[in-house]
Amino acid sequence: MTTLTVNGVDHRLDLDDARVTLLDALRDRLGLTGTKKGCDQGACGACTVMADGKRILSCLTLAAQCEGREIITIEGLGVDGVLHPMQEAFVRHDAFQCGYCTSGQIMSAVCLLAEGRAGSDADIREFMSGNLCRCGAYPNIVAAIREVAGAGGGHA
Amino acid sequence: MTILERPRHVGPGVDRVDGPQKVTGAARYPNDFSHPDMAHAALVRATIAAGRVARLDTGAAESAPGVLAVLTHLNAPRLATGPSALLATPPPPLRDDRILYYGQYVAVVVADTPERASAAARRIEVGYEPAEPLLDIHDPRAERLPDPWGSDASWGDTRAALDDAHVVIEASYTTAENTNNPLGLFSTLAEWDGDTLTVHDSTQWPTRVRATLAQMFGVPEAGVRVLVLYVGGGFGAGLRVWPHVILTAMAARQTGRPVKLVMTRPEMFTGIGHRPATVQHIRIGATRDGRLTAIEHESRSTVAIEGDNIEPCATVSTAAYACPNVTAHDEQVRLNIPWTNSMRAPGEAQGNFVLESAIDELSHALGIDPLELRLRNYAEVHPRSGLPWSSKALRECYEVGAERFGWSRRVPEPGSMREGDWLVGYGMAGISYFWYQAPCQARATVRGDGTAYVRSAVTDIGTGTYTIMTQLAAELLGLEQDRVTFGLGDTSMPPGPQAGGSGLTAALGSAVHAACRNLVRAFLDAAAADPASPLAGCDLDDVAVTGGRVHRVGEPERGESYAGILAMRGLDELSADGDSTPRTPQEAGMAPAGPFGARFVEVRVDPELGRLSVARVVSAIDGGRILNEKLARSQIIGGTVGGIGMAMFEDTVSDPGTGRIANATLGDYLVPVNADIPDMDVSFVGGPDAFNPIGVKGVGEIGLVGMAAAIANAVFHATGKRIRSVPITIDRLLL
Repeated sequence: MTTLTVNGVDHRLDLDDARVTLLDALRDRLGLTGTKKGCDQGACGACTVMADGKRILSCLTLAAQCEGREIITIEGLGVDGVLHPMQEAFVRHDAFQCGYCTSGQIMSAVCLLAEGRAGSDADIREFMSGNLCRCGAYPNIVAAIREVAGAGGGHA
Repeated sequence: MTILERPRHVGPGVDRVDGPQKVTGAARYPNDFSHPDMAHAALVRATIAAGRVARLDTGAAESAPGVLAVLTHLNAPRLATGPSALLATPPPPLRDDRILYYGQYVAVVVADTPERASAAARRIEVGYEPAEPLLDIHDPRAERLPDPWGSDASWGDTRAALDDAHVVIEASYTTAENTNNPLGLFSTLAEWDGDTLTVHDSTQWPTRVRATLAQMFGVPEAGVRVLVLYVGGGFGAGLRVWPHVILTAMAARQTGRPVKLVMTRPEMFTGIGHRPATVQHIRIGATRDGRLTAIEHESRSTVAIEGDNIEPCATVSTAAYACPNVTAHDEQVRLNIPWTNSMRAPGEAQGNFVLESAIDELSHALGIDPLELRLRNYAEVHPRSGLPWSSKALRECYEVGAERFGWSRRVPEPGSMREGDWLVGYGMAGISYFWYQAPCQARATVRGDGTAYVRSAVTDIGTGTYTIMTQLAAELLGLEQDRVTFGLGDTSMPPGPQAGGSGLTAALGSAVHAACRNLVRAFLDAAAADPASPLAGCDLDDVAVTGGRVHRVGEPERGESYAGILAMRGLDELSADGDSTPRTPQEAGMAPAGPFGARFVEVRVDPELGRLSVARVVSAIDGGRILNEKLARSQIIGGTVGGIGMAMFEDTVSDPGTGRIANATLGDYLVPVNADIPDMDVSFVGGPDAFNPIGVKGVGEIGLVGMAAAIANAVFHATGKRIRSVPITIDRLLL
């Protein structure tokens, strides 16, 4: 049995297949479908989650590697049903359209602030470039992150 | 009932009603659904582009752990063909041993887990008898289809006018294959119960999926239910019922289990269509003072061997300018390639690149400012029909865009503007987008608690349909927005058309308009049963709706609440249906107008390294009545990002010998990333359109159009190099 700690809750998982990625474990075995699969090749960023406070690509991480790590997904970002400031800003700035990349964008953006890389629009653009948005909401994503960064960043 | 004169709910930038769902991960896309006893499917694709399957060894796969079924052309059930109308369904998969393109499905494997299904799929061995594939758009052996959509046009005497013109511009252009690549992996989950079938599917057209599955599997349409509450983008890819959808339903029927298929990203390059490559030739004749005398535009695009695709490129030149002699001819060439299909602004994207580049070439040849040249040839009436436009504010687009951009600061001489080591270029393009609208139905209900539920079996692919229809229904029923719910994405609702052709807002909005009017009429009828009702004897024109009440115009106190009318009659709720079918231009006495737009772009070019970047984009758009300015702006921004992709990055590269796509991943097929995109300035000009009752025009595609030409024109202004092929990559800039 493997124990995955996701959003503060321990889950005992029978990982009968060593090939199961963290992404598929979250989605298929824990029912946490907020984390999205856009390429399964580490190229699009839609599957970004937080592991021990750092953004990682859950499609390139085996679930079995995550024992003892603190995983936070989009479902664990808000507190008691209240949106995280980054989630609020994404809604206000219309920083998404279809919404499929949004979980990854938001997880990446929250980590970006923690990394201290949201000091300028150029930095935000550069360090958010691992998260593709095919609907093309980039200017609004930058605006949302800029606003939260300017307000002090919110909690991670 | 007078409507939309002083709108309260439509217009302002309301946040998306589904925003909280999308930012918390709660919005459920087709691949987020599952069943406890679900099995998983994996696809096997052909590794030749033409020929036959000579040998199939499925033994290792069949005996692999967890495998439930392996379907190939040898054992797959024979299905009927699907609809052949507009955006035809590809022929039934696994029907014979012929291979018509690289990536065609040759088998599907069903297993108890996705890992086991894909592992087993890799153990299937396929032997081929290859034939020589037709892969080149110039191949003389390839079948040509002249005027495939009946859209060719010719008026005046173009040849003679070109002979007589003071100045003639003649050039050939090419555009690359692009792949839609919505970020959401297309997925299908199919569950049979006897002859009834429930399907979650990544589609832009649920009613088409239902009709197709019913037809191909020979079951009653009423027993097929298609669900798609959210879809991870489409950009046209979800407009057809692709073979993987059929295979998933087939696999579910064969195994007796619900089956889920999630496409891989490489499969998304071959299995759900792509924007075809084009080669185009244009000749433009003009007088010395810049009056167009002739346009001759010819275009050739690619189409799959057994495919169809609507891609009118030359047609763009029949709607843009006042010109007495015009000839437009489109043709298709059949090749052994995956199906070509609509991708955001099909035909317009490539045709506009050519026309608006050539107009820029003409402006340079004549020494007339590109903006001034366009204004001198402004089409005051529809050029082809001579009918007045239902609306047209392109002149205002040019004026507002030029002002906000600072076009007057442009120094005409190419290569004359610099900032540091960078060459600076200003470029522009105009757009006259086509009009499209399909029939649509909707149903509106007001309940005893004063809330409303309005619905139609359409999709919201990210454009904001949920939100703008909530606003519109709130407006038309006189309710606060939080009292209105809009439902979609379920074929048990009244049928609606595809989210495509920039046509859904007008079609659905008109149907919602009709349904809401019919519902208010139903409430008037209910009220009239009581002769003492303040609404007795009122017709729709006599009343207004505000605050959940129907009342006499100008007399808010003389009316009744919806809840009151229902309670008085002992009813739980009242519902009404509405439908919309567009008039013909002849009936209306006007040419229905699509949106218009003007794009102004500033680029920077590093003359030594060939690096190109877009520094600024200013867009002015005539989209008719804008139902939600925040979301409409997002459509323009998003389209612009797609247009930058087409202009600078996107190129689906196939091996010329085998037809294998060589860059079928998101790491290799370049799309714009955040760092490629500047801030954008978007303005909406013009007012309500006269062709539909709510005055809207679709803005989902126009944002992409014009970017390729504006960027290429800016590159010419920066460097003096005329690039006639997109994407404009470093190699093309350095050569």
